[in-house]
Amino acid sequence: MIRGVIIMNDQGQPRLVKFYEYQPVEKQHELIRSIYRILCSRAENVSNFVKVDSLFGSDVRLVYKTFATLYFVFIFDNSENELAMLDLMQVFVEILDKCFSNVCELDVVFNFNKVHTILDEIILGGQVLETSTSEVVKAVEEISKMESKANWQGR
Amino acid sequence: MALSGMRGLSVFISDIRNCQNKEQERLRVDKELGNVRTRFKNEKGLTPYEKKKYVWKMLYIYMLGYDVDFGHMEAVSLLSAPKYPEKQVGYIVTSCLLNENHDFLRIAINAVRNDIIGRNETFQCLALTLAGNIGGREFAESLAPDVQKLLISSSCRPLVRKKAALCLLRLYRKNPDVVNVDGWSDRMAQLLDERDMGVLTSSMSLLVSLVSNNHEAYWSCVPKCVKILERLARNQDVPQEYTYYGIPSPWLQVKTMRALQYFPTVEDPNTRRSLFEVLQRILMGTDVVKNVNKNNASHAVLFEALALVMHLDAEKEMMSQCVALLGKFIAVREPNIRYLGLENMTRMLMVAEVQDIIKRHQAQIITSLKDPDISIRRRALDLLYGMCDVSNAKDIVEELLQYLTTADFAMREELSLKAAILAEKFAPDLSWYVDVILQLIDKAGDFVSDDIWFRVVHFVTNNEDLQPYAALKAREYLDKPAIHETMVKVSAYLLGEYSHLLARRPGCSPKEIFNIIHEKLPTVSISTIAILLSTYAKILMHTQPPDRDLQSQIWAVFSKYESCIDAEIQQRAVEYHALSMKGAALMDILAEMPKFPERQSPLIKKAEDSEADTAEQSAIKLRAQQQNSNALVVTDQRPTNGAQPAGQLGLVKVPILSNADQSAAEIVSHANGALTVVDPQPPSTPSPDLLGDLLGPLAIEGPTGAAPASVASGLEGGVDADALAIAPIEEQANAVQPIGDIAERFHALCLKDSGVLYEDPYIQIGLKAEWGGHRGRVVLFLGNKITSPLNSVQALILPPSHLKMELSLVPETIPPRAQVQCPLEVMNLQPSRDIAVLDFSYKFGTQLVNVKLRLPAVLNKFLQPISVSAEEFFPQWRSLSGPPLKLQEVVRGVRPMPLAEMANLFNSLNLIVCPGLDPNPNNLVASTTFYSESTRAMLCLIRTETDPADRTQLRMTVASGDPTLTYELKEFVKEQLVNIPVPSRPPLAMPSHIQPTSPPPSAISDPGALLAGLL
Repeated sequence: MIRGVIIMNDQGQPRLVKFYEYQPVEKQHELIRSIYRILCSRAENVSNFVKVDSLFGSDVRLVYKTFATLYFVFIFDNSENELAMLDLMQVFVEILDKCFSNVCELDVVFNFNKVHTILDEIILGGQVLETSTSEVVKAVEEISKMESKANWQGR
Repeated sequence: MALSGMRGLSVFISDIRNCQNKEQERLRVDKELGNVRTRFKNEKGLTPYEKKKYVWKMLYIYMLGYDVDFGHMEAVSLLSAPKYPEKQVGYIVTSCLLNENHDFLRIAINAVRNDIIGRNETFQCLALTLAGNIGGREFAESLAPDVQKLLISSSCRPLVRKKAALCLLRLYRKNPDVVNVDGWSDRMAQLLDERDMGVLTSSMSLLVSLVSNNHEAYWSCVPKCVKILERLARNQDVPQEYTYYGIPSPWLQVKTMRALQYFPTVEDPNTRRSLFEVLQRILMGTDVVKNVNKNNASHAVLFEALALVMHLDAEKEMMSQCVALLGKFIAVREPNIRYLGLENMTRMLMVAEVQDIIKRHQAQIITSLKDPDISIRRRALDLLYGMCDVSNAKDIVEELLQYLTTADFAMREELSLKAAILAEKFAPDLSWYVDVILQLIDKAGDFVSDDIWFRVVHFVTNNEDLQPYAALKAREYLDKPAIHETMVKVSAYLLGEYSHLLARRPGCSPKEIFNIIHEKLPTVSISTIAILLSTYAKILMHTQPPDRDLQSQIWAVFSKYESCIDAEIQQRAVEYHALSMKGAALMDILAEMPKFPERQSPLIKKAEDSEADTAEQSAIKLRAQQQNSNALVVTDQRPTNGAQPAGQLGLVKVPILSNADQSAAEIVSHANGALTVVDPQPPSTPSPDLLGDLLGPLAIEGPTGAAPASVASGLEGGVDADALAIAPIEEQANAVQPIGDIAERFHALCLKDSGVLYEDPYIQIGLKAEWGGHRGRVVLFLGNKITSPLNSVQALILPPSHLKMELSLVPETIPPRAQVQCPLEVMNLQPSRDIAVLDFSYKFGTQLVNVKLRLPAVLNKFLQPISVSAEEFFPQWRSLSGPPLKLQEVVRGVRPMPLAEMANLFNSLNLIVCPGLDPNPNNLVASTTFYSESTRAMLCLIRTETDPADRTQLRMTVASGDPTLTYELKEFVKEQLVNIPVPSRPPLAMPSHIQPTSPPPSAISDPGALLAGLL
């Protein structure tokens, strides 16, 4: 099971935080800070795996990937395959790229609500929901259409 | 750049971004929260658009780390709004801000259910997402049937069905009863025929969750999983949008192979053959390519295939192929693959037959210790640690030592501990072990815990051959210009004890030794000075004939520290000064430390239970405190017959295990002038830690009053004042009645290794045991409590057929107030729960007393704790597929106890609870190793599933590689858990009509007087 998905920038500021097992808000931020400390000390061209026993216990793993100024972090237990998690992260990023055409940090900052919507179409309850880029994009577009229709009515 | 579509939200985010510091940010956030709160209060004027905007702001603020403690009710009420935007807002904020136990969430169940059973698919999606993300037990009970309907409905869109599958998974985890196994297993198999890949992927996750709990009902899914795997591996009929970098849905492949790993085996020969063909194709058909993403995906599949091959217990040939592949991986450029290669090789160590093939890669693994990535270095260290045995220990440990000087600080402590453990476990000879530990201290003193150097002292003390060597080495290190304080401690200690063995070597005269140690004194801390003072006293004592010059130097040091502000130092200085002035007469007091009792290595123990059990620790602390408080009582005990010289009392040398802070109380002078030491810790109780032994003052060995010691162990063994008080009354009734409950004493000894087995007014039988592997050594302490001898003493062991027991000769007479030790060798031949009996009798005057005592050489004594990780546990668990190796039973009539208490009970039986292995917090999973001659070391795994609603029953599954062991262990654990009615006490002792000639020793003299008698 995926325990959490975090996007933060290279300053350690959270851009998206989603835990699939409830964590109180203070705990969430303690974890984000600790993870940031580990990640910012990692060199380039090293593996995408980090040991987080001290934060989450011995059966929990963490993979991360850097995209421009952003760290993408997946936290999950040993029922998931590490490399498959990296693949899923890649899918997530490719979908963001499609939805925002060349995604950058500012897109994620100002559209964090949309990023949430996208993530909800990829992961549900800590499980992989959809892995096809085009299926997710289709679902997200459907939701956007419905929102904008309502927005026009609402104003 | 596309903005959120909500101007107010964008403005707020910009404001936050423009804040110069955290304080400004907080002010801005507080302002916004105030604003939102006010707007929510007048809900009437709010448009859906505004509501939505405010809710997103709340979520943004929450993400920044601020608690948002209002608006929950508003959010929940929006779930039943008729229009999409309001509803969506409600769902999103509810699932982000609330957790499954939140009260408001219960109110929401009906609204969620209405959306699920309604016809609107977009609403269904929202509701399923919420329930799938945060639904709890109550959600499970009310929603599961409807969610199941959606999942199998043929008219629903795949978008809804895949969400229904994962929602059901969550509900099932919250309450497994919501999925009716009988009805659902066929449906589950049908779901695997699904053509839509999205629904199929979600359904596979659902299957993994179901079979991880109970695979029995889902056997029909196995051939279907193999079919899916074949279809994907051959890339047949896989839509383009599910092909990721040319690989047909790696996620589905991985999940499918995961599901198969939850079945103990694949029996059907055709299915098995097809599966192995696919696996072979995956193993052989994967190459390292340039594109990182493609590499990751193909290797995700490959590593999962490796895990499945291991699980299926493939032929050796295929296993060797896997190791060869892994050997290739650990040398590739791609760091992720190197990392996983090492990790999977560590996992492969579980397969005995490939261990030798893994060893061929030792050089490459050692190279990985120098990998630029710390994650990889850690994996390499784990692997080296796991693969180390007698054959390669020297190479590996020396590599670790070399690596130590360049290793990251973050790893040094772990590295030193691992090197120390390997050196201890696999040392080809002890001098090498001493070399390793001294090098460790030299290279990484800061990271060498006290346990490590205590342990080396322990070994040196117990091995006479080693002592000159260790002393010489210690002497050599002192020549180095700057040495770590730990090195000063260990060298000073060793030289104090053994430097006289070096006396003829150059640079090793007492004076030279003293000078070189004394050079270090100005730079060391108080705790080290204490050791140095002891060392000086010992050097002085060993210098025969006395060297006046050295004597005055050392006395000068002592007098200097006699006014030290630290009480411990002051006390040592005063005592050593006074003692050493007494000259050669005090040789005995300053003699070498006696051998330590054998005990489990604290290092290995530390490594084993790195997750320290706090309850356990506090128990140790408590015991230590009790010992301290006993100390006074014990030292107060003096033979009533003061004229009896201490030397005639003791038949036994009691090892002195003293705590530093008790030093004053320990040294008491008898009226006849002979010095004796009353041990505050009775021989039957091991010192709580090594610290006490080593930091204590000089080794003071002397004859000991056995009677006080045995009374002390009586106190230790839990005989409270009441029991002692009862004794005289029973004596008046002219019957020898045991003191304390024999059955209780036996049960206590089943869980600990020392204590009192039996006691009556005349005799006390203490017991101390050491267990290792399938052997054990039990020492019975027979203590005569009274002032006349006990005659016709007979001890007969009645061993059950599975134990070989040899009791050494028991003397026929136990002199007054003396204690004799009778070692008993035990060997465990095979698993059994039968219990050995000690038939013990003695005569007091003319009266024969005979008791039959159960001996605590019980099954759990041949268990050694082993903590296994999930990677180790699950393959074993699955490979032990069913009776007779794996037995399951529903146990009723369990003594109700909280789960934590049950975990403690398990741990105390050496069944080590492995937290986190079982996702259900009501289950306990434990592992252990059983040792017997027939089974050798054998891993045993136990799972108990408890029902929080009914603590009196549980389901227990026990697995091991031996059917008898599995059965016996299951029964054994069961006996520990169920409430056995305590039988009324059988007449264990024959009545006696003898009046004791004197009361049990109870005369207490003034402790102050005793202290005054000191020197």
